[in-house]
Amino acid sequence: MAPLSMPSALTYELLGKCSVTKARAATLHLAHGPVPLPIFMPVATQASLKGLTPEQLEEAGCRLCLNNTYHLGLKPGQATLDAVGGAHKFQSWPHNILTVSFQMVSLLKLAKVTEEGVRFLSPHDGSPMLLTPEHSISLQNSIGSDIIMQLDDVIATTSPNLARMKEAMERSVRWLDRCIKAHKHPERQNLFCIIQGGLDLDLRRECTKEMVARDTPGIAIGGLSGGEAKDAYCKVVDTCTGLLPEKKPRYVMGVGYPEDLIVSIALGADMFDCVWPTRTARFGNAITARGVLNLRNAAYSEDFSPVEEGCQCVCCRSQEEGGLGITRGYIYHVTAKETAGAHLLTIHNVHYQLNLMKLAREAIVEDRYPAFVKEFFAKLYDGKSMYPEWAVNALKGVGVDLLSD
Amino acid sequence: MTDITAAPNLKNLPPETLDFTLLKTTTALAPRLGRLSLPGRKTLLTPGFLGNTSRGVVPHISHDNFAKNTNINGVYIPLEDFVEKLPQKTPPVFQIDTVDPLRRFIALPRDTLLVIGARRQPAIPCPAANTNSEVGILTSVGFRSISSDYYAAAARKLQPDIVIGLADIPFGQAAIGVRRKDKMSDRTESWMRDIIAKRNTIDKDERRFHIFAPILPIEGQLQSWYLDHLVDNMVDKISGVAIYDSHLLDELPEELQQLPRMSFDNPASPQALLRQISLGMDIFTVPFVSDATDAGIALDFTFPAPKKANLKNGSLRQSLGIDMWLTEHSGSMTPLTGACTCYTCIKHHRAYIQHLLSAKEMLGWVLIQLHNHAIMDTFFAGVRNSIANDTFEQDVTAFEAFYEPKLPEKTGEGPRVRGYQFQAPEHGKPTKKNPKAYKPLGAPLNAFHGQQPNKKPEIRDNIDDDALIGLIGLENVDPEEQFENLKLEDDK
Repeated sequence: MAPLSMPSALTYELLGKCSVTKARAATLHLAHGPVPLPIFMPVATQASLKGLTPEQLEEAGCRLCLNNTYHLGLKPGQATLDAVGGAHKFQSWPHNILTVSFQMVSLLKLAKVTEEGVRFLSPHDGSPMLLTPEHSISLQNSIGSDIIMQLDDVIATTSPNLARMKEAMERSVRWLDRCIKAHKHPERQNLFCIIQGGLDLDLRRECTKEMVARDTPGIAIGGLSGGEAKDAYCKVVDTCTGLLPEKKPRYVMGVGYPEDLIVSIALGADMFDCVWPTRTARFGNAITARGVLNLRNAAYSEDFSPVEEGCQCVCCRSQEEGGLGITRGYIYHVTAKETAGAHLLTIHNVHYQLNLMKLAREAIVEDRYPAFVKEFFAKLYDGKSMYPEWAVNALKGVGVDLLSD
Repeated sequence: MTDITAAPNLKNLPPETLDFTLLKTTTALAPRLGRLSLPGRKTLLTPGFLGNTSRGVVPHISHDNFAKNTNINGVYIPLEDFVEKLPQKTPPVFQIDTVDPLRRFIALPRDTLLVIGARRQPAIPCPAANTNSEVGILTSVGFRSISSDYYAAAARKLQPDIVIGLADIPFGQAAIGVRRKDKMSDRTESWMRDIIAKRNTIDKDERRFHIFAPILPIEGQLQSWYLDHLVDNMVDKISGVAIYDSHLLDELPEELQQLPRMSFDNPASPQALLRQISLGMDIFTVPFVSDATDAGIALDFTFPAPKKANLKNGSLRQSLGIDMWLTEHSGSMTPLTGACTCYTCIKHHRAYIQHLLSAKEMLGWVLIQLHNHAIMDTFFAGVRNSIANDTFEQDVTAFEAFYEPKLPEKTGEGPRVRGYQFQAPEHGKPTKKNPKAYKPLGAPLNAFHGQQPNKKPEIRDNIDDDALIGLIGLENVDPEEQFENLKLEDDK
């Protein structure tokens, strides 16, 4: 069968490439405004980012956030989304939205995948439901997200069943064709394919080849970040990006730890999402350049310095600098006791992630990404002996020796 | 803020004076208009209200939203929210080495009026009885007690604008004996002397707090000893009164009439507020605002009430609030209430807020809380206008005829309840404080978006809310059984 091709509703404007690593800086022009790449996308699963108003999310610098198709399909449901005029209007978010598909569903014991689609039990009444590639796209058309994802057959990368892995990969390609066919608004919504194939590099190569041939506006690498070894993760990302066209955005799904972002950028990835930064905020964990601080630890109860010294988020800036002047001690005082405590740390963590991407982008544009990476790891760890081996190896593979001076 | 040229003369400057001007007053038991102002702080027009805080924030309203999206000019802060480490450790807030440490700690805007008291509003009854020198408090880690000396020292250290004098009130006790009432009066008198003495130790050029004297919730003649002392010896040392029973406004000594009156007699409804205002109350904390928010109820009333002709269904009285849990709102693109200009009503619509509640997203309560505070703000502005126009009495009558007497009952679940927000008598109830969010589904789950970033094997496979949102509600269904009964095409 001849692969289907499709129009694109985005422009990928390459601004600079690292002369050593595979890192790229770009501006992605989407229907709801330009977004800088590389980018971290906060996850507003149910059309809300954990207590923050759209205005607060905007102020933290976010211009592209995630919604979950599956959740919005259940609540508020397709009929409401159609009546309201899509998810942007529904949540009063003037910027871009990317909708992830039903990733986790197929991983749960509750779901079963057939050629037709994913069968699972309705969380509302326990009745069986069937989700097909066509339905997934139809929902995302109703949501009106700027970037939509194909329905894919995901199984845990750690699965030892190679035959099932191959089946899932091939099925994902077939489903992509059905998604392309079902997509009603290719002129304003960008469909991304999702490369599958587990940790098997040959399967990944084959999948990449098939999917690149379909010429979707952007490409995602899926099925990762599910507990596999980091070395294997890096190999998959490195292999896939090596086969991808330069002029398209590359999205690695479910990645969010700062060191993962920095390494993945060096391996040629542009877009990332993860609930970790916002979830961990609700547990009182602050992301900083020197690591994650658990502000529920009593040691911070009498620490009246900002969450992160020098941070430019509205929480950390002093009142004199136009910020709120929130201290670690105060976060300790409110975390898990008042929801506002979670809101404050969520603002900080989202800002941290977005700012890290901004700094990485500047470094790439100025062609000093290797030095930036070294600086990043030097700050994060107490000495080179503490550097994770996977990161050292992965970066060595793209020409950066973390252990040298 | 300090004027450099004035610095050498700092000692000659008058101490920060709290000015309360009565703009309009008629007889003793009548509504009145006033203006409470303090240098450097926003002016509070009365009748008016303070933000009722928990652990330094108005619940659900983060500090940036507080500054940007509310018109709250002052807050009430209970000391019991800050002293859980007692007596083993000095509470952190006392270790901040700056001016205005409490304001710094809770990151309160510089111009917001800061009032502290000992207990939260409303106060949760403590099991241990107060003693001659100590009152029971409830911290987030359990019941404690603080002494009058400690309270006075805390006020001295924390430098609030206004301190509510410590009162001996046996909260939660239905009937109080005459001898106990005597003690209340004695102790409160003595504790007032403590705090005044402590304030006298503040240097003349240091910022001084102002004291509101408690008026106990007992008959006037039973606290006459205390009130006499208040009038004879302390009247020039106090700047206001804190009234625990609004009926006592009737027995307020002449000498205290001109002082601002803050209500600690919790109003259950806007009608109860109006009743207190009609007796001449000035300042309120309005706990029912946050209660309504937690119940998912968007307040929907104005003062004066709309003309009767607008009433739907003719004879029925209109509800004071909208239950946003109801699915009838799920497709509604209208704001919470028509004329409201709060952030929520300008930016969002009912469909979204209903969705947020039913999805248990924290933002739902944030948006309703912003709205509910805006409704109260407009309500008080309407009250002041009505008093100024001499139509208050008629307007109250019309309000009572127009609206139902009580706020609607809650139907949905609120946000998770914390122990210190929990009324002690409720502890004995057989029901759980919070319903179970979900049941483990048996098999260890592994999800891209749900895995805990934790290396400890015992919790690594735990999945928290995000991954399973949408799967809650499966409690009564046995997934295994359901799944086996499924007929799949592939099985045929």
